[in-house]
Amino acid sequence: MRSEASKGLALSAPASLYVGALVSIPLGILVVYSFWTQTYVSIDKTFTAVNYREALTDPLVRHLLVRSIFIAGMVTIATVALAYPIAYFIAFRTQKKTLWLLLITIPFWSSYLLRVFSWKLILGFNGVLNSALLSLNLIDQPLTFLLYNELAVVLTLAHAWAPFAILPIYVSLQKIDPSLLEAATDLGLSPAESFFRVTLPMTVPGIVAASLIIFIPTVGDYVTPALVGGSEGKMIANLIQVQFGAANNWPLGATLSLIAMVTVGLVAILFVVLATTAGRRIR
Amino acid sequence: MSDQNIIELKDVEKRFGSFVAVSDLTLSLKQGEFFSLLGPSGCGKTTALRIIAGFQDHEKGKITIDGVPMKDIPANKRPTNMVFQSYAIFPHLTVFNNVAFGLRKSRLSKAELDQRVNEALDMVELTGMGGRKADELSGGQRQRVALARALVMQPKVLLLDEPLSALDKNLREAMQLELRRLQQSIGITFVMVTHDQYEAMTMSDRIGVMFEGKLMQVDRPEVLYAQPCNREVAAFIGGMNFVPAELIKEDGDQLQIKAAGFGTLNIDVNPNVRERGSALLIGVRPEQLEIAATKPEGYDSTIEGTIANVAFYGESVHYYVEVEGLTDVVSVAVPNYFHTVDYKSGDKVWLGLQNSSIIDLGKG
Repeated sequence: MRSEASKGLALSAPASLYVGALVSIPLGILVVYSFWTQTYVSIDKTFTAVNYREALTDPLVRHLLVRSIFIAGMVTIATVALAYPIAYFIAFRTQKKTLWLLLITIPFWSSYLLRVFSWKLILGFNGVLNSALLSLNLIDQPLTFLLYNELAVVLTLAHAWAPFAILPIYVSLQKIDPSLLEAATDLGLSPAESFFRVTLPMTVPGIVAASLIIFIPTVGDYVTPALVGGSEGKMIANLIQVQFGAANNWPLGATLSLIAMVTVGLVAILFVVLATTAGRRIR
Repeated sequence: MSDQNIIELKDVEKRFGSFVAVSDLTLSLKQGEFFSLLGPSGCGKTTALRIIAGFQDHEKGKITIDGVPMKDIPANKRPTNMVFQSYAIFPHLTVFNNVAFGLRKSRLSKAELDQRVNEALDMVELTGMGGRKADELSGGQRQRVALARALVMQPKVLLLDEPLSALDKNLREAMQLELRRLQQSIGITFVMVTHDQYEAMTMSDRIGVMFEGKLMQVDRPEVLYAQPCNREVAAFIGGMNFVPAELIKEDGDQLQIKAAGFGTLNIDVNPNVRERGSALLIGVRPEQLEIAATKPEGYDSTIEGTIANVAFYGESVHYYVEVEGLTDVVSVAVPNYFHTVDYKSGDKVWLGLQNSSIIDLGKG
């Protein structure tokens, strides 16, 4: 007779081993690489922190890291803010929940690259938006601030990640017993007050989950900034990609990756602490 | 309790599509009264309570609370507070903040807020529990928090939706007495919805019995038990033997009838009966029947029967007796004074009955 705990371990073993191998081994390799150095064509395998010194003192790295966090932050805020009303609608205002949940997954039915290209077509100099505005005589010249900047990156990523934000928020809204909102009304609160004092604090876990799910991958995204970001939309991952590609400096690339990972981890922890504390202070 | 009416409902009707949930509900509740709406599930009692609270609109009729028409007053502005069936304790807040929830809008000073919340916690015997989280509470404690949270608002009327149904039997009985005591000490009008007849009987000043959206009878518990207005009310409250009968003669407040099995009887007119025809229904409470091995003396009517079944309840023994001329067995409840079961299935017994214990239930 095996205990519950050992049964649980046995059940999770395949996934744990799979993920463990595919995460810890590459991560270990990355750490080792970050302490080596690139010498023209070969790798010098003496342990040194020179890559870290270089990366941490380079203003470009710092600039790209700050910009990546800023863009990912913007994407997170925009996505969560747009996703919340949709999740609220599905949780409370419609009987056709399954249909709506199916509809919000539609973006996944086409490839991610295609979606990014569509945004390029919409926002471009001769794109859908500019053509429409021109033919309506609302503008004389095509707008140039639409594409190849931070705005384009934020727009594209917010669209791509919306379903990932809607689902966790929907789940946390779904858990709210409707009688709690009636109790709030009964105790004299207007609908808006009930939202801020009951619904919002009770959905903090959903908001936090949605934020992390969006923030962490978007900081490291390099496809979207490369395609629609132009030069002012470049992010840290683009620099890392160059190290592993054209620049052929794997040790520096590994170092940059680890620095980005640690920074994102710290920002995420800070966010979780702040959001949870803020949620608890609402009473 | 005063004679002043605190709630008045007049011809209130609520439909869900073609289903009439509440029809022609007219009811006046007195200031300081403990009133129960009693009925089987789906009878419209909860809908009626939610209409009073303002959670449910209604198509027809008028509601006034303390003289103020409630037509355009939303739920959050009504002078009522509710104890929900699920208690609806805010899970993200402590006990203190749950109770303080409604008060925070009124911009009280911190000292005043603390004082009122602590008084409310004292009242429901949760002194010193303010710091507990909602998920650290037992069912009974949650119920007390819900009660304190509603009472701290000092409502004119407290509405209770099946407040004890989630508690186990012993706790439920203790809370019945406690709720009653609390209501009498603070003097607020309580309106409780319940499907449990014993709960309604032990706690209420008056009970309104509802069936299929209609209020059948409103009376004190004793009157409901002694003079139910029809078969449905009689069957819902306490046990009852129903016997079909024919009206022979109506003479003022007396009826002469011929009852199946029992023969000719003279019984009192039940003033609550609304309809009466030549076919009548009479009722006899199981504990009003005498059971004996030989023909008992001093009864207005006696009949012979055979024991079909015996059920032992602890405090009483129920005998189910087959009687010639009656399709249903007659149930007889005997208090278990001597810890003995006197008869067994198949025994011949006599039943004795006084005319005064027969209830006229009107049209058969």
